[in-house]
Amino acid sequence: MRPEVVSVAPGLSSFLKSLKTTPVEPSIEHFISLLKRRQIRNSRPCAIATTALLLRVVGEFKGRDAGKLVERIRQVGRRLTSAQPREVVVGNIVRRVLGLVREVVDENIDADTNTNSDFGHNSQPHHDSLTRPALASSISTFSPLKYAAVEPMDSSFHQSDLSESGELSKRPPLLASHTSYAPTSSAPLGNSLFGLFSHPDTPSTSSTPTGHQSPDSKGMLTSLNLERLADFSKTNLDLKAEVMDGIRELQDELDQSDDLIAANALDHIHSNEIILTHTASTSVQKFLLAAARKRKFTVVHAETFPHNHTSTHGILLTGKKRGDSGDDSEDAWKPLTTAGIQVVLIPDSHVFAIMSRVNKVILATHTVLANGGLVAAAGAHMIAKAAKVHQTPVVVVSGVFKLSPVYPFDIEELIEYGDAGSVVPFEDGDFVDKVDVENPLYDYVPADLVDLYITNLGGHAPSYLYRIVADHYRSEDITL
Amino acid sequence: MSETPGSGAAQPPPAVLPIEIPSNPPLQPQGSAKTTRPAEAAGVLKLSAAELKKKKQAEKQARRAQTKGSGGPPSQQKGAPPKDGFKQVKELKQAAKDDKLRPMSARRRPSQSEVTVPEKLKKEIRKEPKQQGLFFGHLYNQPRQHSMVGASKDVHPAVLALGLQYSSYVVCGSTARMVSMLLAFKAVIESYSTPVGTSLARHLTSHHLSPQIDYLRSCRPLSISMGNAIRWLKDVIIKIDPSTPEAQAKRDLLSEIDNFILQRITAADELISETAAKKIEEGDVILTYASSSIVEKTFLRAHNAGIKFSVMVVDSGPLFEGERLARDLANHGLQVRYRNIRAASHAVRDASKVFLGAHAMMSNGRLYSRVGTAVVSMLANDHSLPVIVLCESVKFTERVALDSIVGNEVAPAEELLSESERQALLSLKKPEGSDEAKAGPDDVLKWIAGSDTQMLQVLYDVTPAEYINMVITEYGSLPPSSVPVVHRLSTNT
Repeated sequence: MRPEVVSVAPGLSSFLKSLKTTPVEPSIEHFISLLKRRQIRNSRPCAIATTALLLRVVGEFKGRDAGKLVERIRQVGRRLTSAQPREVVVGNIVRRVLGLVREVVDENIDADTNTNSDFGHNSQPHHDSLTRPALASSISTFSPLKYAAVEPMDSSFHQSDLSESGELSKRPPLLASHTSYAPTSSAPLGNSLFGLFSHPDTPSTSSTPTGHQSPDSKGMLTSLNLERLADFSKTNLDLKAEVMDGIRELQDELDQSDDLIAANALDHIHSNEIILTHTASTSVQKFLLAAARKRKFTVVHAETFPHNHTSTHGILLTGKKRGDSGDDSEDAWKPLTTAGIQVVLIPDSHVFAIMSRVNKVILATHTVLANGGLVAAAGAHMIAKAAKVHQTPVVVVSGVFKLSPVYPFDIEELIEYGDAGSVVPFEDGDFVDKVDVENPLYDYVPADLVDLYITNLGGHAPSYLYRIVADHYRSEDITL
Repeated sequence: MSETPGSGAAQPPPAVLPIEIPSNPPLQPQGSAKTTRPAEAAGVLKLSAAELKKKKQAEKQARRAQTKGSGGPPSQQKGAPPKDGFKQVKELKQAAKDDKLRPMSARRRPSQSEVTVPEKLKKEIRKEPKQQGLFFGHLYNQPRQHSMVGASKDVHPAVLALGLQYSSYVVCGSTARMVSMLLAFKAVIESYSTPVGTSLARHLTSHHLSPQIDYLRSCRPLSISMGNAIRWLKDVIIKIDPSTPEAQAKRDLLSEIDNFILQRITAADELISETAAKKIEEGDVILTYASSSIVEKTFLRAHNAGIKFSVMVVDSGPLFEGERLARDLANHGLQVRYRNIRAASHAVRDASKVFLGAHAMMSNGRLYSRVGTAVVSMLANDHSLPVIVLCESVKFTERVALDSIVGNEVAPAEELLSESERQALLSLKKPEGSDEAKAGPDDVLKWIAGSDTQMLQVLYDVTPAEYINMVITEYGSLPPSSVPVVHRLSTNT
């Protein structure tokens, strides 16, 4: 069944189709091979495929242990990201799903402690501090380094636990609480590091002052053992279902992000503007189309020869991106010109010459990095730079799913090189023999060249992106 | 006037310049010229300034339509592919021979069938006005001449051939165009004889040379260097003592032209490449954009001097001049890397110096050169690389420019899409217009013209002076701010 699907049209659509019928493990392998062969490429298809795959992974997951689920997703994620490290989006989605699992667990715990605190009213702070460490420690087993941060956090954990703190302030104390209680327990190290699996009950008995806790709150301490709790805790029953719901929401977010971004269009494009953009990007086209409904402006489109120019030409003429045939929703929209927008196609070399007339530059992106820089189709850097020189605002349009917690320590690492044959055809053997030809597909654009990011959450300054990253990814998941 | 022999095939010029006259007498195509402009006839009624523009555009459309209608072989339209940009007279001769091989009329945009044009024309006129005018509307005034049809009968055959080579980019590059023009003018002057009642000094410039120049301009706008050379030539002609016998005067003129080329180009190139080659050090990676003869000379000189360095050629469509440069350099044994302009930011990272050729140096120190140069020099400046411009002083101009939009040269938009790209787009189109079973590449152009999409292409851009660290001329190495001084120096002598 699967082989013939693959042979027909390997790509996103065939993968999604085969996903329904294929078991998880072959599907993962299938996706990995598609990633490696670059048959699924670019952010959106990668994101869609990853979410679909993870949905399946979670769906097939046996058992109720959140820790094991996290470990499973993480393991799949590691394989996917190592298959194609430059599709950062894959890692992003894996991290998002991991965050979902943690969130579900967190909520359940919160719900439990709330019910518990009704009974054990005198020990509210302790409950908080007792229940959270369990989660934190289960995470920290994956990244032992986190223990280094335990001591300094020690003093503040009670405060932050009591306050309705955000995730960031919540998380460090979680780690700390165990050690804070450790002195009272008999085996402090065993508690924090190894005891989680082997002695689930000891910390609770030794450290809980009230000592009248129900069995489920004890188990909560070691959420790694959620499996045990399953019999007692009704909330844990639907861990999987909740995570899957979350993943479906993520899928919705992927679907809608372009439209949500486009909803901002009128805030940023005024009449008779001249807007420069490059490459074929669905997000940008939809953004411009949304503005085109109300306003008349002119679009100058750099063709990004030789990598993307055919699809750029295509998108201008038909409004459809080539190779996106799997995505039926794309068929619905029309080229900008039908909306009465005048489109001027220019070669990339004209960017500087034209820039003095351009009001705004709108860039599509491949990945947005945590420092506010972005990786975009090659040519983006020179466009952004030329815009900077001409004091033209540069707007980057990107879904939040492209926002990555990766920090660009090594820029070269993120740049993918493409087929040099598209620069100089290989038929020209004499030339190709003697001359070194390269065709980088992506450019890194530093944050200072970007004036504004528009995501499905709204507009942000590049300097604010770290905050959105923090909102979307748990710090525990940043290293997969 | 009537006895001016220049245009007749019956009286070939004494062959110092090895340009052969094409077998067809140029007078013949002129006869058909009247029939080629149906738009003119239609549009004569009311010609306000705005109408004029419309008409010009319509004319272009009409020509395009005719090309399609007559089914003329599209491969012949382009003449020789521009990549093989010849620079010397030798090649000129070869190209001229090519002309002989095929009948002149078939060489470019055949214009026979015009039956279907008027209806089409009207439709297009309605649509056109808002196109084209966006950035470079002021530059679209003159449709480019792609044939010798309609050329004045005074135009010398050598000039006719040269004009075609200009318009098809066979002769391309500021220096090459100027030199070939001067050589063609030598042929013109040789075959010139002063009519009775006038003097050579008065008649030659205004009555004989200017039609030639007009024709060349109609083929492709004159380069700055050509303008400079023409100004110089006119100056020389005016200064000829009327009492000089004609033969003597012509001989003087010819040697003056030879001298000019020798001094201002050959010797200057020698000096410049010598100075510039000294700037290349062991292990350097020199980045250059597109192709410049003087930059190539410099590289070869440094290479021959035994300096180990490599060259990074950044290039851009649609002319891809850099490809030829890269090929030549590689054939000479240099280590060459070739990048598209899209990869310029990556290329700049690896480079250590930037050498640029020039179309012209503006008096405000800005560099007017092949479009894309500004991007490259901006990136190089960003990386603190020295940007060095190699430019003969004959390319200096007293003109100033602030941006690339006011003065520029628009290239025909259809050149932006190569044949293969059109083919690629064809597959996109099919699902929509299913009625066209066998659509040719030309239909893509029509399709694009039919939509609101405009293909824009200019040939030059202006690089701000602050990106340029040094200009090397035959007068020495100077900052861009010294350009006006050198220009004065070079024109006063």
